[in-house]
This record gives sequence, structure tokens and C-alpha cells, in this order.
Amino acid sequence: MKKVSAALLIGVMVLSIFVAGCIGGGTTTSSSSTSQTSSQTTSSKTASITWVSTQLAPPEERAFVLNTLLPPFEKDTGIKVNYVPLSYTDLSTRLAGEEQSGKVTIDLIGDLHGGMDYYASKGWLMDLNSMPKLTGRTFIPAFMKYATINGKLVYIPWMSATYVMVVNKEAFKYLPQGLTENDVIQGTDKWTYDALLAWAKNLKEKTGKPLLGFPAGPNGLFVRFLHGYLYPSFTGYEAKEFNSPQAIQMWDYLKNLWQYVNPASTTWDSMSDPLLTGQVWIAWDHTARIKNAIETKPDQFVVVPVPRGPKGRGFIVVLAGLAIPKNAPNPEAAWKLIDYLTKPSTQVEVLKNVGFFPTVTEASSAVPNGPLKILAEGVNKQESTKDALVVMIPNLGSKGGEFKDVYKEAFRRIVLQGEDPQKVLSELGPKLAQLFKDAGIPEP
Amino acid sequence: MKTKYLPYLLILPAGAYLLFFIGYPLVQAIYLAFTQNGHFTLANFHRAFSNSMFFQALKFTLALAIVIIPIQVVLALVLALIMMNTFKGKDWVLYALIIPLTISDVAGGLIWYTMLSDAGFLNKLLLNLGLISQPIHFFGYQYRTMEFLAIVLEEIWRSTAIVFVIILAGLQMISREYIEAAEVFGAGYWTRLRKIVIPMLKPSIQSALIIRTLFAMQIFGAVWMLAGRDIPVLAGEGYYQLTFIKDYSVASIYALAIAMLSIVLGALYVKFLKAPYLEVGE
Repeated sequence: MKKVSAALLIGVMVLSIFVAGCIGGGTTTSSSSTSQTSSQTTSSKTASITWVSTQLAPPEERAFVLNTLLPPFEKDTGIKVNYVPLSYTDLSTRLAGEEQSGKVTIDLIGDLHGGMDYYASKGWLMDLNSMPKLTGRTFIPAFMKYATINGKLVYIPWMSATYVMVVNKEAFKYLPQGLTENDVIQGTDKWTYDALLAWAKNLKEKTGKPLLGFPAGPNGLFVRFLHGYLYPSFTGYEAKEFNSPQAIQMWDYLKNLWQYVNPASTTWDSMSDPLLTGQVWIAWDHTARIKNAIETKPDQFVVVPVPRGPKGRGFIVVLAGLAIPKNAPNPEAAWKLIDYLTKPSTQVEVLKNVGFFPTVTEASSAVPNGPLKILAEGVNKQESTKDALVVMIPNLGSKGGEFKDVYKEAFRRIVLQGEDPQKVLSELGPKLAQLFKDAGIPEP
Repeated sequence: MKTKYLPYLLILPAGAYLLFFIGYPLVQAIYLAFTQNGHFTLANFHRAFSNSMFFQALKFTLALAIVIIPIQVVLALVLALIMMNTFKGKDWVLYALIIPLTISDVAGGLIWYTMLSDAGFLNKLLLNLGLISQPIHFFGYQYRTMEFLAIVLEEIWRSTAIVFVIILAGLQMISREYIEAAEVFGAGYWTRLRKIVIPMLKPSIQSALIIRTLFAMQIFGAVWMLAGRDIPVLAGEGYYQLTFIKDYSVASIYALAIAMLSIVLGALYVKFLKAPYLEVGE
């Protein structure tokens, strides 16, 4: 018996060491990370900077940053970059704390326009007009307009992304009357949502299959099509006219269109596979999520601008920028990193590896021929259509999920479950308005 | 050291484990469900229950369990009875039956999604054999019944094995003597099965049912892969609330709902599936 209890005692001790290790382990890591950041502040003279970013945070993209993007910069300049991917909520909390206490440890911020807009409104960002000029590149003027807030250049446009349509060339054989291949590719006035409906209808009637598809699965981005494409195109706004006669018209249109949409759309998260397997011939998705299809069969697909609605050609541009916080420990080194990241060659590298589009015009023409060129051209055509109605994803911080849920619920109830649009919109409208009221930003 | 402490020492590691990994999160979930900004409130429950998805999810979670579990138990029993016989290649059959057990629910969902989709293996096979002229649609909101069927198929394929293993172990524990005695008295195969084998299997069936039901309440990965949110289930909606909406309180309510269901169903099994022979001290 003694032996057993001795063995048990040992077991308990081992367990307690293990548990203590677990608990203590947590504190050691956090203390080591704080000491890391504090050492950064002190060692800023030895040229080491902290770059906090909400972008390029997924594991694969992070690996690209650490293994491919940063090493040449570190080698050339001797500046050590401490890359810290954070969520928007974490970044804004950290920045708020640092700016309020005056102990700023962040040298460079990488975030979406919405986030930058918020930081700028709080007065946390440096005016970059005072920095030396970045030579050898021309930033896309529309992007510079966004980056200049109240006369201050609060960030430098870094990367952009958008959502486009992909067409299998086979589908051009079934174009409806009055619509030409050129209309679609160039995004002319004739390339309207009604034309899309006629096309999808024609495809279904002639081939017997619904060949239009959307990523309306649980992790799909279809909700962006609703608030950033259909809504602006039909009502002129993303949220302001959520419950309006034009919105009802839009929902009636979508209900009608849905007859010709592949029903499996509600299980698709990305359109790459359905395009490659031929389950759909016309698809809408984020550029990064159709990249694979175009790379696999570059001769089969064309990337085209989205159709236009009564109020214009609404589409989302996701714009990420680089900013230097006020009182940053090492703004000169941070500026060098900005310089490096916005070089046309670096921008092409980013496009090649992670699929984000350049913000400097020189890079767009530097894209080598091939699948990426097809993508870049499509994006370029969309952005330069004359009826372009560019919208940005509203920055609601942690409420972003609820914002999307309103549109998802409206879609599910109106289109899938066949509820009366007016009833649903009257119910959800106030909820949407409240989200913007709580966040203190006007409805876009 | 006195022996009276021994039982406590023996359960200490398990107790500590439960306390850290189950007890603490449970308390945390209850706290999140009942508070808002540190104050007690029932508003979270109102928010969870006023969303039609909650009851949809409850309905579908139970419906899936009600359809899947009986099929699995019967199928597992039949398979286990077959495996009690000796035949050539028995080991291989056994391995083949157990392989799905090693596959995660997400992977299982993906496998079946690829097989059943319009451009998938099943449709291609049937089209090529000339049995159908149009692919059978399994996926999409319009085909929710088919999506339900796909989930049932995937779950039966993937998780019958666990029921099978438990029942097979139970069968192997039944003493040959009982069977032989029954044979002596002239009992046929069905009589033996009904009067001896199944009653003696009750403890095994009970464990298998409890384990399967608990898993069924947590069903998520396969559904998410095969039907997305077309067919909402409790765990899936909890995940949606947590990661998409970032409403930790409502997500906790979903988690607690799963826990409550599991406890209630577990208790019902224990109450109604008592194994009689264990109680007479055999």
C-alpha cells in the first residue's frame, strides 16, 4: 500500500508541476513579450521597429511577410522589423493605450481605410506630408484622396483588393440579345443587372443548368455583394436607403435572379472550385478567392467589371494603408519601410504572393503576362468604369459581424424563405441604423 | 499514509483535469450568459431566443439525432453480430469498418461534399451509367431535405464505428454458457437474440447511446461543410455567434443549451435503460 501511495504522491507532484507550468507558462510568455516590446523602445536607436498590422495576418500571409517580404529590406537597411499581426480591436485598444499614456511602442501601422479613418479622427496619426517624397511611383489618385483626411496625409495607400466577376468564355456563346462580349469586358452602359438576369436566364434555358453562382456559404463573402454592390447600384447607398422603394425593387430583382442561380451557392465559400468544375460559368467573388481558378485555367476565364444598376456601378474597394503613429519611437526607419513596401517591385511581389493589388500605377503595368495580368486587367477596368460608384466597407469594429448579419438575414428571409421584403426591411432597418448610431458614424 | 485518503488521491488527477478544463469554462460560460458589463441580466437570453435561428437549430440538432442514432445502433448491432462469426478476411473487414472513426467530422463532411456535389463522384457515376440524365442536387437551400440526407449519410458512415466498437466489446463479454444453455433448451437464433443477447448487451448499448447522443448534440463540422447554415445546428450557431457576430454571451447560451440537453438526455438514458442483471449481483 505504501508503494501505491508513494507512486500516487509522485503522480500528484508531477501533475502539480505540469499545472504550475501551464499557469506559470502563460505569465512567462506574456512577461517576455512585454520585455520584448520594452526592449524595442530602448533599442530603437539600434534601428529596430515594430510594425503592427491587421492585414497579412493569416498564417500563410504571415509566413510570406516573414520569409519573403521583410528579409531583403532588413538586409539592405539594417533595420530589424518586429512584425506583429493583430486584430482591429486589439490594435485600436493598444494604440489608444499607448497614445494616451504617451509611451508609444508602435512605429508603423498597417490597417484598412476604416481603421485609419478612426485613428486619424482621434488624432493618433502623424501627418505624413512632412516626410520626404517617395520617388519613382505614382499613387492611384482616388486612393490618395481617401488617405488625405482634413488636409492631412494620414496614411500611405499600401494594398487594395476588390470583388469582381469571372466569366467562363463558354458563357459568351449564350449572351442575351443586345449584349456583346465587349460590353461585358469593358463594362459599358449595356452591362446592367437586367442584362445579367437575361444572360443567366438564357444560360439556364439553353443549357438546362443554372450557371450563375455566388459564394453564399457560411464563410463566403456574398454579404459584400449585397451591401457593397447591389445596394449602392440600386439605391445609391450601402445602408442609408436600406428600407426604401429602391431597395424593395432590388430585393425583387434578386429574388427573380435567384431562379437562375445555382442553388448550391448557399454552401460555397469560394468560387474557385465551382468555376473549375464547370458548375458555374459566371461568378462573383473576392479577387483572392478566384485567383486559383484563373491560375489553373488562364485561357478559360476572363475577369470582368460588375454590372451597373439604376444608380451606377457599385463596388467595394478594400484599401489598406500604412501610417505612423504620433510620437512613434522611430519614424525615419518606419518611413523607410513604407518606401520599401510601396515600391512597384515590392507591390508586384505582394500581388503575386498574397493577391492584394498595387496602389501605385507603375506596378499595375509591371505585372507579368499571365493569369495575374487577367486579374489585374479586370480590376483595372472595373475601377476605371466611368459610372463607378466606389464604396468602402464601413468600419464598425466589433459590430462588423452584426452589420453583415442584418444583410444575411434579409437575404435568407426574403430570397430563400420568400418573406415579404417590406416586412423584413421594416424589421431590420432600425437594427441597422442603431449599429451606426452606436458606432457614432453616419450611415454610408 | 492512511488508506482512507487513497480513493481521493486516486480521483485527484481526473478531478483536477475536470476542474480546470470543464469546470472553469463552464463557470465562465454561465457568467457570460447571465451578465452584461458585469451586471446580472436576462437580456442575453432574450437576444438568443428572439432570433428564429435558435429554435431552428434546436429543432435540427434533435431531428438529426433522432434520425441518425437509431439507424446507427441497429446497424452497429448487425455489424457486430456478423463480426462475431469467424470468416476469412475478418480482420480486414474490422479495420475497414473502423477507419472512418479516425476521420474528423470536417474531413468527413468534405469527403461527402465532394462525392455528392453536382460534379461529384456519385453524380458522374450515375450519369455515365445512364441511370440519370440530370445530376441529383444534394446541396443548396432549395434542397434542404437532400442536405439533411447528406448529413445523415456522412454521420452514419463516419460515426457508426464508435457504436460498433462498444457493442462488439459488449458482445464478446457475454459468456458462451448462457447461449449454450439456451441452445440446450431449444431456443432458436432470434429467441436467443431477444432473450439473452440484447438484454445482456444493455449496458453496452447504454454507453454507446450516451456517447453517441452527446456527440450528436455537438454536431457541427459535418453540417457546416455539407449544408452551411441552411441547416442550423446548436454548435454551428454558437460558433457563428462567437466568431462572426462576436456576441460571447449568446454563444455561451448556445453552449449551455448543448450542455443542458446532454445532461437531460444522459439522465434519461441512465434512468430508462437500466441493466437488470447487474442489479441482482451476477
